[in-house]
Amino acid sequence: MSLLTDEVRALEGRTRVYTAPEPFGAAAGRYFGLAIGDDNPLYSDAEYARAQGLAGVTLPLTLVCETNQYAGLPMDHEGYPGHTWGLDIPGTRQVRGGNSYVFHRRIRPEDVVTATWRIEGVTEKVTGSGHAMLIVMSKASYTNQDGELLAENEESLIFVALEKSS
Amino acid sequence: MSITVGQAVPPLERTIRLTDMVAYAGATWDWHRLHYDPEYVAEKKLPGPIVDGQVFGALLVEQLQDWLGPKSFVHRLDFTFRNLVFAGETVRCEGTVTEADDERIVCDLRVVVVGEGTCAARTAVAPASATVLLGQADGPGAEPAR
Repeated sequence: MSLLTDEVRALEGRTRVYTAPEPFGAAAGRYFGLAIGDDNPLYSDAEYARAQGLAGVTLPLTLVCETNQYAGLPMDHEGYPGHTWGLDIPGTRQVRGGNSYVFHRRIRPEDVVTATWRIEGVTEKVTGSGHAMLIVMSKASYTNQDGELLAENEESLIFVALEKSS
Repeated sequence: MSITVGQAVPPLERTIRLTDMVAYAGATWDWHRLHYDPEYVAEKKLPGPIVDGQVFGALLVEQLQDWLGPKSFVHRLDFTFRNLVFAGETVRCEGTVTEADDERIVCDLRVVVVGEGTCAARTAVAPASATVLLGQADGPGAEPAR
């Protein structure tokens, strides 16, 4: 039985937009650097950053794609407070495929981020072991309060059927 | 710095302890119980709390930025997840330059879980690749510093 039902096909084009209630803030970047063990002074030392031609400290590049800070959502029952599509595909397990990031410029503490998520496409394939799988491709575009494009993030979610295709 | 095709990217190795995962959960506003709650992961029949896969993107950028210095900018990064990584495991980011000129390089990358005797026990992330712009601290969308 195909996982690619009319209901699933109708997901294409679905969009969600989140705007952060405040600027990103330098502390968010410094905290992230500390958490991942990245002590690059670009994220913590304004004088060093200016010596490289930047206006001041910037945030670690991938943070905007990893954080839920902008979403302003409550935690769900498992503790997750970020964007999801709320997809429930019966008879499948969900795994993450991967990400493709494009960074247009460094994120600055004063940037107020708007994230626009969109489902770009839904396709079906069969795994080598004969299980159907549904691949949901989403894209987030991150802009700031002046409409500047900061980064883009394409993400694949995979729903693998628990039983083999008949 | 002269960079040539085939050159290895200096590896970055990191042991990811549960404490680091809790810090990462806070820093990214992602408090999903999968990433720190032993009772929850035991219910899911997992061997331990799962490292949030997106941290590997951050480590790959750190690897490249540390190597190439502040006058470089990671413009593109693509990565595919292969296997879960659990609290307390050590990962190593590896890479090779596949294209190089004066303005940009392209690297093939991967993240492996380090096993006994520094052998790769399994692959966490592959394939992965990055395009890095050289000679500039910021990206093409940046205005000059005010």
